[in-house]
Amino acid sequence: MYDFHNVALSPNQSLLLNITILSVIIFAVLRSERRLDDSNPLAMLGILAIFGIAGRVLLDPVPNFQPVTVIVLLAGIYYGAPRAVALAGIIALASNFAVLGHGPWTLFQVVGWGMVGMAGAYFSDHLLKDGQIQLNKLAGLAIISAFVFDWIISLSILLNTDVSMLVPYLLNGLLFDLYHAVGNLIFVAWLASPLGEIMLRHRVEPSSQAVSEVVTN
Amino acid sequence: MSSNLKPVSVIAVIALILLAPTIRDALREEAATYVNDSESSHDGLPESWDDSQVLCVIYPADSPHPKFNNGVTMIETDGSTLGVNAEFNGTGACVGGFTGYTEGMPFLLDSTNATGGNLDVGYDVTEWGSYVHTIGALNANELTGNFSGAWWELRHNGEKSMVGIGDLIMSEGDVLLWQIATS
Repeated sequence: MYDFHNVALSPNQSLLLNITILSVIIFAVLRSERRLDDSNPLAMLGILAIFGIAGRVLLDPVPNFQPVTVIVLLAGIYYGAPRAVALAGIIALASNFAVLGHGPWTLFQVVGWGMVGMAGAYFSDHLLKDGQIQLNKLAGLAIISAFVFDWIISLSILLNTDVSMLVPYLLNGLLFDLYHAVGNLIFVAWLASPLGEIMLRHRVEPSSQAVSEVVTN
Repeated sequence: MSSNLKPVSVIAVIALILLAPTIRDALREEAATYVNDSESSHDGLPESWDDSQVLCVIYPADSPHPKFNNGVTMIETDGSTLGVNAEFNGTGACVGGFTGYTEGMPFLLDSTNATGGNLDVGYDVTEWGSYVHTIGALNANELTGNFSGAWWELRHNGEKSMVGIGDLIMSEGDVLLWQIATS
């Protein structure tokens, strides 16, 4: 019998396969959103987490190219810092624990992406005007976020080495920071508008509706 | 607004792919750090070569190598330049990052081959063993000056080697250095 699982793929074929799977996931995410009730931010966060985890794992062969930074940034803009930080934690922990490898660096990734999410929340008034995402400003913040996130992750080497190694280490990693920055630019250019539209529909409603009223006699 | 971001992102990807090798080399040279320990046979060599086998060739001041004449160029096993240590004693080149060699001659030939012809070795096989006369176009037999003879001297971890390259047994982390000696 022909053992279909025994087919050896070249790295490029494997990457193409992964990108195809990711495209299917993106398509499915966009379709499934239509079935959600209006304003369901938690379900939307779940979908974003799946997209982030899948994107990170499947794009792992391309150095430092993954959608998580932009997703967390968008989550910060649309849903606020606490949910963005939670999303950062879920994506980092799940993808590391399941596939990429869990260790002390996971904490640095959670902190790094958490800060990206907080930055998104902090600048949300500038990045989201009348429901319109400001793509150029978002691209700028996404590029800065790539460097800041990578440098936060790089601090993890201090667990093993002393401070004198940090600058050479950061210099050596600068090309990978550039990969991350250009990857973020790609995700902002091609995904931020459609994702932002969806997220806007499931944005947390103003708090007036969420106040629980005390029933009076 | 979004219309120009998409082409810009594609241009950025293409530019990065094209420039990546240049950026990587430039950064690596900038980031290279060298061992600073006069007790160590790796003194002056890149820290990333710690525990790996290294071959250095140092040229006399009046017969510098045509290419490696400014400091000592550090070359990786794949032939790429890791950096230049300007504070090394002399000028020339080191090739490092090798592991697993146990005999001197194959290591000499493989490591010099990695430099893409810049350190080609010429040697004679005599009844006493292999005699290296040329490294990187400098033939010691053709050197003239205020001496009666010149030869390529082999130093093994900083000490003058007691045996020729053909009989040298190597360990991990060994540093071989060739320099011109005269008498």
